[in-house]
Amino acid sequence: MKRFALWLLERSLHDREEFEMIAGDLEESSGSRSGTWHLGQVIGIARHATFRGVDRGPSTGDSLMRTTLRDARLAFRALRKRPALTTVIALTLGLGLGANAAVFNLIDRLILRPFPFLDPDRIMLLAETGKGLDFKKESVSPANFRDWRDRTTTMTSLSATQWWDANLTDRGNPERVQGAQVSAGFFDALGMHPALGRGFVLDDETFGRHRIVVISDLLWERRFQRDPTAIGRRMMVDGEPYTIVGVAPQRFSFPDGAMIWAPLSFDPKTPPPRNRHYLTVVGRLKPGRTLEDASSEMNLIAARLAQEYPDDNRDHGIATFTLSAGFLDEGTGTLMGLWQASAFIVLLIACANIANLQLARAAERRRETGVRLALGASRTRILRELLTESLALAAVSVPFALGFAWLFLVVMRAAMPANIIRFVPGWETIGPDFRLLAFTTVLAFATACIFGVLPAIQAARSRVVETLKDGGRTATGRHLLRRAIVVLEMTIALPLLVAAGLGVIGTNRLLNGPQGYNPDGILTMKLVLPDRTYADDAARRTFVTRTLAALAPIPGVVQVGIANNAPATGSSSSRVIEIDGHPAADPKNPPEVGNEVVTPRYFQTLQIPIQRGRGFTDADRQETAPVAIVSESMARKYWPGEDPIGRRLRVKDGPWLTVVGIAGDVIQDWFMRRNVPTLYRVFDQAPTDYFGIVVRTAGDPASLATPVREALLRVDASQPVFDLMTMRRQLHERTIGLQYLAGVMGVFAAISLLLAAVGLYAVMAYMLAQRTQEIGIRMALGASGRDVMRLTVGDALKLAGLGAVLGTGLSMALNRLMEAGLLGIATGSVQVLIIFAGILLATALAAAYFPARRAAMLDPNTALRVQ
Amino acid sequence: MVDLYLGELEQIVLLAVLRLGDDAYAIPILEQIERQAGRKIARGALYTALARLEQKGCLRSRLGEPLAERGGRARRYFAVTPSAVRALKESRAALMRLWRGLEVLE
Repeated sequence: MKRFALWLLERSLHDREEFEMIAGDLEESSGSRSGTWHLGQVIGIARHATFRGVDRGPSTGDSLMRTTLRDARLAFRALRKRPALTTVIALTLGLGLGANAAVFNLIDRLILRPFPFLDPDRIMLLAETGKGLDFKKESVSPANFRDWRDRTTTMTSLSATQWWDANLTDRGNPERVQGAQVSAGFFDALGMHPALGRGFVLDDETFGRHRIVVISDLLWERRFQRDPTAIGRRMMVDGEPYTIVGVAPQRFSFPDGAMIWAPLSFDPKTPPPRNRHYLTVVGRLKPGRTLEDASSEMNLIAARLAQEYPDDNRDHGIATFTLSAGFLDEGTGTLMGLWQASAFIVLLIACANIANLQLARAAERRRETGVRLALGASRTRILRELLTESLALAAVSVPFALGFAWLFLVVMRAAMPANIIRFVPGWETIGPDFRLLAFTTVLAFATACIFGVLPAIQAARSRVVETLKDGGRTATGRHLLRRAIVVLEMTIALPLLVAAGLGVIGTNRLLNGPQGYNPDGILTMKLVLPDRTYADDAARRTFVTRTLAALAPIPGVVQVGIANNAPATGSSSSRVIEIDGHPAADPKNPPEVGNEVVTPRYFQTLQIPIQRGRGFTDADRQETAPVAIVSESMARKYWPGEDPIGRRLRVKDGPWLTVVGIAGDVIQDWFMRRNVPTLYRVFDQAPTDYFGIVVRTAGDPASLATPVREALLRVDASQPVFDLMTMRRQLHERTIGLQYLAGVMGVFAAISLLLAAVGLYAVMAYMLAQRTQEIGIRMALGASGRDVMRLTVGDALKLAGLGAVLGTGLSMALNRLMEAGLLGIATGSVQVLIIFAGILLATALAAAYFPARRAAMLDPNTALRVQ
Repeated sequence: MVDLYLGELEQIVLLAVLRLGDDAYAIPILEQIERQAGRKIARGALYTALARLEQKGCLRSRLGEPLAERGGRARRYFAVTPSAVRALKESRAALMRLWRGLEVLE
């Protein structure tokens, strides 16, 4: 800050000696004051220095610089003379600009440059494309990756990473952390050098030598208190000893907030598969190579691999992205587009308001302008003066804008849960910076041109004689313009209101509406059993049995259930099935359903209704007949018009299962439709190594977190539990993106409604003031206060009504965008449209009421005498 | 003595410099004005006045030794030129003449 202040000082003074003197003086008198103090002082000095000599002395030729400075000085003086108006305008503009600045910052940090890596534009993300490979971050099969790595000549350090639930299994203090298994070049590709120790080399991928880890700075601090001798020590991960070889630099947590990295290695007994796609592949362009080079090379490699391995690679391609583009969540772009559009509407309304206020001022100054024109002032001169005034207004509003933007970003950051942030690259870095300042300033001046140009042109066009003759009353033409501006404000405020309303309603329905189960009073948590300690189904069954036995007796626990993918916990999986007697119509495209493996009391715990047949019982065991429960939607889809109970189906290559019951549909995750066909199997017959535990409690579920954790530690002291939280909290976190979408748009909509109301109020008040005489005459001739009210409020409603009608059209267009952005959560409805048009009209009514009442209470005698 | 007109702020600055003698650099000048004239003036205004007065030939300046507390920068000491002293006296005399006979106002 201090350096910036000095830089600014040097810029604003022409004289080096003077700079040295002032810089010295500031340093001497600063004491222990901060950089902000310096900046404040410098701004004051710079202001004086800039205007030095502008108004003084005979002007030697009217140089452009000189006139501009004089104009600027006059403009600032004019602003200072009307502090109230200036403040209103600066606040209005500040809101509009601030909203845009905040969204700009989000786009800048989350989309344009989310990663703090060296030359991020040269880091490539390679995705395998083909049928079913929709998720580009996890699309590459290990065997294909190895071939790409061997064959590429355009990239270096081509490397793959795999999601890793790392269980730190030190006894008594187990912890599950986000990890990544990465191939050798990973850190080099990202340009990361370990702060301590080393990264991975090719030899580390050799199976048997792969039990080494690099840990994050955070983990180093938490587990080793930043002790450098941690390098070379062992830690238990997934029940096996790993040697620590390196510590990552601070804040390095790629991908997905990883805290521990190990080499990606394959047991020679099970060579890397070509038909399973779960790797993320990144690489760095060689010097001189471009994305296009890499892309065309990868296309060739893909074609070659498709020929060599037709079984697995037919019709598979390779898509090449920059890292930022590859990691960008599809929804983010739409989200930012919606926010930017909303922020732009806010700014537009702010501009309209200011243009209106400026028009009013210009009208007041018509006489002055007229006189000046009559005395020989050039029109350009006057035009320039007014424009400069608008620019000065813009300059004054920039600090307000930055303040609003900062406030907005602080709230955004504070409201985001920590375990979501790690999936949003760049979120950590959100905040004001130099680019934000530059953007805001440029936007402010651009805006000034928009709202300043209309009044300026009008003033400069005024005809000399008429303005002087006119008793000061304004021509109707100008009223028309001002009224049109109000209509415009209403027109663009309505779509924003409707869109925000739909977002809020949709999100609320999702969050608080029926889920298909009862999310209240539920505590949830997740576990991932390491292969090492729980190598086979028997061990997993034992763990689950003991877990259920350990949790049930805890006071306050009503019921306990376990499922591989409990709803709203962020996990889901699916299985290809075969239905007895209904062969798939297209053998290449067999039916696929949601895959749930649950313990018998799972349905009771979550209160998922069994609609027909029976639920699972303790009698459904490994050795008894394999059974299944299907969801209502699955029953409808695969046995239309039939009774599925007693029918048979099987998961690909599994035993035949008999359907014994039908369960109600649940919302697994907000972005899935409610009716995902789902197959339930009983845990004992199909054990999994990862699952969620759901506990129904008598009281506040959060209060049972500690006893539940302790009970689980008694089952296995080295088994970590994670994401331990209430189901309500889970739902909140799962839908946080939607809540943000709706919340931000709601705020923007509220601001624009307020601004539009203020705009209408200003115009009504102004017009009524202008019509005081007319109203006086009317009242003298017998009009009652009520008539005057009707006249004026009716006028306002006419404007608002026209705006509402026009806005309805726009709303429908914006709704379509909303529906796309919200995956159908918010669907446009006529009722919502009518409600918000009503809100708009009511606000307009309120805005018009106060000036109208003042007019109605006028004393005709006084009114008539008004000049 | 019409060729050297001094504004009020300029007179105040010059008087402050005179009072400070050999120790007249910007910081004590500012303090002097605040203390003696009871006026708070903006730092920027003072620098502007100093620059203008030097340009008009009312002030001369010299550099002191570089000082650590100033980040290695030297103080710039100001001194009033004889012509400015004359102009100050002139202004005072003019004011006194105008005041003559108006003592009742006090």
